[in-house]
Amino acid sequence: MNILYFEDIEEGDEIAGLDLFLSKDLVRRYARTANMYFPRFTDDEGARAEGLPGMIAPGVMSMGLLARMISDWNRAATIIRLGTTFRNPVLPDRMIHLRGAITQKNEADHTAECDLWMENDEGERWVVGTATISLPTKL
Amino acid sequence: MALDFDRSILGQVFDETTFPPVTKEEILEFAAALGETNPLYTDEAAAARGPYGGLVAPPTFVTKLRAKKFMPEHLPRFGKTGFDAGRDLEIYAPVRPGDVLTMASSIHDIYEKTGRTGSMYFIVIRNEVRNQRGEKVAVIDHRIMQR
Repeated sequence: MNILYFEDIEEGDEIAGLDLFLSKDLVRRYARTANMYFPRFTDDEGARAEGLPGMIAPGVMSMGLLARMISDWNRAATIIRLGTTFRNPVLPDRMIHLRGAITQKNEADHTAECDLWMENDEGERWVVGTATISLPTKL
Repeated sequence: MALDFDRSILGQVFDETTFPPVTKEEILEFAAALGETNPLYTDEAAAARGPYGGLVAPPTFVTKLRAKKFMPEHLPRFGKTGFDAGRDLEIYAPVRPGDVLTMASSIHDIYEKTGRTGSMYFIVIRNEVRNQRGEKVAVIDHRIMQR
């Protein structure tokens, strides 16, 4: 289990990334539990009828996965703000790569600012965001 | 289309929805759907020994709340199609099993951006979530792009 204190991190540090195969079943499961069981998130035909290239993952699922990356990286980090921009539709049935880095440490309140993003195999950033996390201190 | 609307609607609550109590099962399933392994969200016994003294929901759990009315009735449409452009989430208090959440929705902002493909209009819906004790749990700004 990873526990990182405020003193353990530095500006520029990478957040351990998460690579996962985003299957259509994973997306459907999320859509069901998140009250988003709409055609665009559940089947290709329904999505095409809405003018999309095929079924897509809900933006908030990407957001949830970015939050999970932080939790997997550091069990002691508490997310107090998470902002995301959905730049491109996230298409399932392929690998996605979640990444992040610490951009700023705030000594006054033991928080840190992070850049976060989700990219595909080609390195295109489909979702970008920032977060503020609160960390315990050794003091 | 010019950005023409009655600015007095900004900040006015157009929907307030109270949801059934949050269940433990709902939290566990939400966490499982994201592949979370953090015991705070997945293991009741371990979470009881943790900083919250019990199971809590993953940070984005509040994004699953669906208001009765998603938009005010008389808001004009600014384009033919709409996209979910992003969310900004601020978290103030954890969500626990048994919590009764109420979400108040208002239009926070409407603005225009001009890109290579023409004008885009952004509608920001602010959803403020409180629990049964009136404590602010989260604020979710939902940006919808129309063009």
